[in-house]
Amino acid sequence: MRIPAFIRLTIRNVRVNTDPGTMLFMLGLPALYLVVLGIMFQGIIPSIDIHNSSISYTKFLAPGIVGMQAFTAGNIGGGMLWSDRRWGMFEQLLVGPFRRSEYLLGIMVVSIIFSLGGSAIMIALAISISGSFAFSAVSVGYLILILVAGTIFFSCLFLIISILVRTMQAYNTITIFLFFTLDFASTAFYPLTSETPFALRAVSDINPLSYVANVVRDAMVYGISTQTGYQTLIVLLLMFVFFGISLYLYRNVQTGL
Amino acid sequence: MSSEADPAILVENLIKSYDGRKNAVDGLSFRVDRGEIYGLLGKNGAGKSTTIKVLTTLVPPTSGKVSISGIDVVKRPNLIRKIIGVVQQEEAFDFTTVEQNFRIYGMLWEVPRETVKARTEELIELFNLSEVRRKRVFELSGGQKKRLQVAREFIHDMEVLFLDEPTVGMDPIMRRSVLDFISDKAKQGLTILFTTQILEEADYICRRVGIIDRGKLVAEGSSDELKNRYGSSKKLSVKTSRDLTSNEMDEFRGLMNSIDGIDDFNVGHNEIWAMGKQMNRAMNEIMRKMASLSIDVEQVNMDTPSLDDVFLDVVKR
Repeated sequence: MRIPAFIRLTIRNVRVNTDPGTMLFMLGLPALYLVVLGIMFQGIIPSIDIHNSSISYTKFLAPGIVGMQAFTAGNIGGGMLWSDRRWGMFEQLLVGPFRRSEYLLGIMVVSIIFSLGGSAIMIALAISISGSFAFSAVSVGYLILILVAGTIFFSCLFLIISILVRTMQAYNTITIFLFFTLDFASTAFYPLTSETPFALRAVSDINPLSYVANVVRDAMVYGISTQTGYQTLIVLLLMFVFFGISLYLYRNVQTGL
Repeated sequence: MSSEADPAILVENLIKSYDGRKNAVDGLSFRVDRGEIYGLLGKNGAGKSTTIKVLTTLVPPTSGKVSISGIDVVKRPNLIRKIIGVVQQEEAFDFTTVEQNFRIYGMLWEVPRETVKARTEELIELFNLSEVRRKRVFELSGGQKKRLQVAREFIHDMEVLFLDEPTVGMDPIMRRSVLDFISDKAKQGLTILFTTQILEEADYICRRVGIIDRGKLVAEGSSDELKNRYGSSKKLSVKTSRDLTSNEMDEFRGLMNSIDGIDDFNVGHNEIWAMGKQMNRAMNEIMRKMASLSIDVEQVNMDTPSLDDVFLDVVKR
């Protein structure tokens, strides 16, 4: 039986990225956040009181960490174009039995696999720390939708960076900056309250990871509402816009740097 | 579609311009027969890499006709990529172990798992990679990486292989071994387009070579044909068994001046040397004169031109 080209590329992407370093970045770091940050902060934050309910900090943090998987997986997937261009494999694959579109699809699919797989592991870890979450068929549907849309959006963001940036130093600087800015200036770790400074609130409000984290939190903790639908729509819209931009740039990207 | 009658590679009046003003390849034409190793030589920026990029479907030609096994590279690029193999000049690896590189590459090319396993063992052995088979690529030396890159390409079947400076960084023994392996593959029917800066390699394995300069093919033929046609001056040196007298030296000077095709010469006390393209005739005349003067020959040397000389001669024109 013939395996479609994009699936072969996806298998390759999975194999190439299941090294200890990538796994640590994708699973070790978020797990550390969840366990260490969650348990340590729980000592000084007895409860998070928003949406007319009171939950523990670990219960609040867990969906944020799950949402972060979309960002991390997008970083790994989109960054593959950078490393493949840097190390010659992009050109090598394009003179092989593959189309450019199949290469792109391989990146998107591996990002989604990593995102959903990582999220499942984080949810399991969160349940073991803070007890069960209120899942329903609708909330699981939202959870999967937002993780897929968020992952595609972040993959496209990193694809665009991979296409435009020409040096390793610049690439590393941008990704580290984005990692810290998007992760820590979002609602993944902290709730926005009336006491949140305006500047931080503004950054958090324009941060796509906040929308992903909010939808995941609604799906896992607070329940689906109209607000969840709006936030999902915003992420979907961003996904389509960034997919269009990355596709436009990707069509003409040169094989080397 | 492809047929056995089609040449493996056919390039007709290929023009490629990246900016619409200057042609990186400028009316290039050549053909490579099936099972032939064809060397494409040229200095940096001559158009070799661009030609290979067009042939391997990475960039479209501006004009001209290019086909692989009778398949047009512009009309059927996806089909072309299924029947070619490419070893790039630059490094190209997945940063896994050596063994995993073979396995992943075999999977990408849809080679049956058992075949991948058998070929991996064979290639690891042939390319002397046994000691590093479980090492990650970034732990390998430059030569080991290059060996892996070349070896990995043979994990899948192909009709035409493009080798862009495949032996860079290899030691002389390994280089010879790789060239012999490539040569054997050509004998089994594989067509190979080979570029190198080490012209001895082209001399060693290529049936024909084409020299490309400023995007044009400026010389083509077998190595011997090119040496005869374009070779720089040969140098003839004859050592005498005794010192020549002044009169004898004058006689030899007169003789050398009378022979056409000698560009330079010197008559010393016990050595005569001459440079030019008609050295066989010069040698005969010198021998005849020495015999008539009862002078014995101690040593005769004639330096024949190498492919390096041909290359320098052609690209300097």
